[in-house]
Amino acid sequence: MIKTLLCIAGLACCAYAETFYLTVAGLGGEQEYEQRFSGWAKELELILKNEPGSKLETLSGAQATRAGIQAKLADIAKQSKPADNFVLFMIGHGSFDENDYKFNVTGPDISATELAAALDKIPAQQLIVNMTSASGGATASIQKARRVVISATKAGTETNATVFARYFIEALRDPSADVDKNEAITALEAFRYAEAKTAKFFEDLKRLATEHALLEDTGKGDGVKLPSAENGQGLIAGRFALLHTGTSAAVAKDPAKLALLKRKEEIEAQIDDLKYRKAALSVQDYRGQLQKFLLELAKTQEALDK
Amino acid sequence: MKRVLLLVSFVAAPLLLVPLAEAQPAEAQPCYSLKHKGDPGTRACFQKLTRAANAAVQAEGFWGSGDFKAANDAFRAAVKQAEKDPAPRTRWGRMFLEHWQPADAAELFGEALGIQPDYAPALLGQALIAGENFEGKAIEYAEKALKADPKLFEAHELIARVALEDNNPKKSEEAARKALEISGEALDALAVLGAIDLLNDETDTPWMNRILQINPHYGDGFAMAGHFFTINRRYDEGIAMYRKAIELDPALNSARSELGVNLMRLGHDEEARKHLEQAYNSGYQDPQTVNTLRLLDSYKDYVTTKTPRTILRLHKKEANLIRPYFQYEFERALATYEKKYKYKLNQPVQVEVYPNHEDFAVRTMGMPGLGALGVTFGYVVAMDSPSGRPPGQWHWASTMWHELSHVYVIEMTKHRVPRWFTEGMAVYEETAASPDWGDRLDPPTIDAIKTKKLLPIADLDRGFIHPTYPQQVIVSYFQGGRICTFIAEKWGFDTLLAMIQDFGNKMTTVEAVEKELHVKPEEFDRQFLAWLEPQYKKTIDNFDDWRKRIRGMSDSAKKKNWDDIIKEGEAIRDFYPDYVETGSVYEFLAMAWREKGDKVKQASELERYSKVGGRDPSLLKQLANLQVEQGRKREAAATLERLNLIYLQDDAAHQKLGELHLELGNPNGAIREYQAVLAGKPIDVAGANYGLARAFVAAKRIPDAREAVVSALEAAPGFKPAQKLLLELSEKE
Repeated sequence: MIKTLLCIAGLACCAYAETFYLTVAGLGGEQEYEQRFSGWAKELELILKNEPGSKLETLSGAQATRAGIQAKLADIAKQSKPADNFVLFMIGHGSFDENDYKFNVTGPDISATELAAALDKIPAQQLIVNMTSASGGATASIQKARRVVISATKAGTETNATVFARYFIEALRDPSADVDKNEAITALEAFRYAEAKTAKFFEDLKRLATEHALLEDTGKGDGVKLPSAENGQGLIAGRFALLHTGTSAAVAKDPAKLALLKRKEEIEAQIDDLKYRKAALSVQDYRGQLQKFLLELAKTQEALDK
Repeated sequence: MKRVLLLVSFVAAPLLLVPLAEAQPAEAQPCYSLKHKGDPGTRACFQKLTRAANAAVQAEGFWGSGDFKAANDAFRAAVKQAEKDPAPRTRWGRMFLEHWQPADAAELFGEALGIQPDYAPALLGQALIAGENFEGKAIEYAEKALKADPKLFEAHELIARVALEDNNPKKSEEAARKALEISGEALDALAVLGAIDLLNDETDTPWMNRILQINPHYGDGFAMAGHFFTINRRYDEGIAMYRKAIELDPALNSARSELGVNLMRLGHDEEARKHLEQAYNSGYQDPQTVNTLRLLDSYKDYVTTKTPRTILRLHKKEANLIRPYFQYEFERALATYEKKYKYKLNQPVQVEVYPNHEDFAVRTMGMPGLGALGVTFGYVVAMDSPSGRPPGQWHWASTMWHELSHVYVIEMTKHRVPRWFTEGMAVYEETAASPDWGDRLDPPTIDAIKTKKLLPIADLDRGFIHPTYPQQVIVSYFQGGRICTFIAEKWGFDTLLAMIQDFGNKMTTVEAVEKELHVKPEEFDRQFLAWLEPQYKKTIDNFDDWRKRIRGMSDSAKKKNWDDIIKEGEAIRDFYPDYVETGSVYEFLAMAWREKGDKVKQASELERYSKVGGRDPSLLKQLANLQVEQGRKREAAATLERLNLIYLQDDAAHQKLGELHLELGNPNGAIREYQAVLAGKPIDVAGANYGLARAFVAAKRIPDAREAVVSALEAAPGFKPAQKLLLELSEKE
């Protein structure tokens, strides 16, 4: 049941709302990191530029200053509405001094507290993807209701340069990240993809992992590695569409197809219900019923796509 | 230095050797004499010493009574009391050596030598450590000790042991007899002579009888014979010796532990556990015993599949993924060897695959040589899993074929093959299976050829057992492999088979060479080098220049001077074409062509890299992508098939290969690949099941296709292509 609701909510948000994206590539310190960070920021721009209703801003190098970031956030606060979405991507190095997290940018660094103050003025639903080292140290200051916070590290003490950003961006390019195949990559899907790939990166190299990504979207408590219904995390992230890859949004706008959409929702709900009862059914019974619902769903989708 | 005993043991493992009068306090001598004879009053004698006023004597008493902790404290006090005396330090070191702490022992011997540089017992201590580690320096240290004290019979005993490990019974016998000239009751010298007889199948050896006349409970003599049998891969006979050892002395836990380890090597896990647990519970807790027991415990996490010829033991977490690939190569290798060696094995072969390298390493503990990736014990092969090391570091199929060659050669020779020959055959078989398999010519080997460090064929075993310089084991593998290639090329493969028969008939290397190749070993060496050196002349002559210039290429890459890289790379690539490790010329050239936008040349460079044996998964995947872009799908599939023999834990590569096989009309290949994706627990379960469903459709396995597409939709009910396929399949009903 939950899944169906999320799906519809996702369609609704993306069909009518605007999404503001702000990417900040912080100081690299060394040429290699400067290139890597600005390269990732450019990649994000390329991927997101065709997203319908998107407004993209990127700050890197000399532009990425505390004042510059605060000014952009203030701008977005003025332009956005509660129905809109706002995504902040933070790429670079971070630090944590037991009191506060700091994002390393040109000039004075910007702290998590300062970021939180600026973010609080933005009325849109928010997704903060903090991909810097020590980013886990920022979560406690930034977390808030209606705000998804993803951090590349589980704490401020994980201070090595991260690889999480590489895989988070890859998720937006790789169709396999869209695990439910609804033609939209949500924040939750991108997080799961990047988290798994980051873990495999360290496993393959036989190195101790120096970063452990977490997601927090309840506004309270710690972030989690595996968001699920059991731990209550991932509900908002699961319907926060970061990128659309198909035509589902357009379908949702067509009033002539609302009856079919409604039928589709019903079948999806039946499938969810069946999955919920899976343990109580014999394999044969479960698969038989599942196949029946899936066939009906496929036929409904076929009619929707005509 | 804070010296702490790692484990506290309560039952003493008996000494292998009669202790040295010079280092030992005179008060302890009577106890060691009793011990030497196996007298039941030994323990009481040592316990009496624990009440002595002199700390050094007390230490001997505690040590002899099996109380290592108290002995450790007493030795510490003894050293404090006699700071300028090397003796207590040396005795303390010997105790650490017995307590499986060679690093602490080495430090103490070093300190003793700091006090008196020619102190023979400490020099002997160093030699014993080197001997335990199969280091070539063991003999050098022993000779130093003899120079300092010509009466030190233990040093002769050690030389005898090392020489026999090197398969040099003549030298071994000479050294043992020298020890006996000094001490007619040198038990280990007698044991070495007994072992020589036993290795020659002379079961009724007078030497072992002499040992038993001196000490009726001296199990160490048979344990030593067990050691020689096992390092010569004659495990059954080794096991019989260890059984005899503990029959004579049931408290000889070192032998009991070895018995357990060797039983496990042959797959007799239950009895192995019984002996290992008994040794452990009696306080014998050396790393080998502890780790082997841990490994036995971990077997609950493995699954075993059997066919009439094969037994494959895989870890649960990866069994579904790797089984099809391992089983296929396993069967293929056995079929190839059966035909090639004209020999049918009389029981199934067991292959164990360890995802945790440390678990695999337990299997090779206490064995000489490299054993870095795989090891063979008769019909049991243990090897690393491709997931046990960073991707691209090695070629698992090549290793499996290497080890399975051992199974045949060892069995055909009735376990009497010299190490150089079985390793040489195994290395030869790797590249015979495919030229891009096996290890490439590496810098240590280039240096060895250049500086004439290759060993004569008659002495080549020494390079495996007691290397005298770093990397000599690797160089010896290379040399063994090239010798077998040379013999196959010049005399024909059947000559290698004839040599296998000769070794089985107990011939030595020298005898086999003379009989089959009709040359003296010295002449063979001359001909071999004359054949080998020209093949590598270009690399050897240009190696220093190549090394300097490849560093320059690395600098150019940092500066993005792509034209310089291309010019330099093309000039030096063929100086050392075998170099395919990180930072190879191929890699730099491919990078430069990519940056210049020339994908054809980029692909061509990577193709060279792959053909020569390059194993980096990222470069191979890059090549496959380029081949796909260039419409060369068949070549792309071949590249990814090659990657499968190197690294299997890459779901993106399996996905890609699955797609290619589908497009190329190879549905069975596609089915295997999509099943591999699913076995790797992918993020995109729906996509993988959908691919599998399409592959089943192509293979006309419609019910399987329906199951797979339902699984795809179960994960993603709104997955449109899968919905379409489900509808199509329903219409077919």
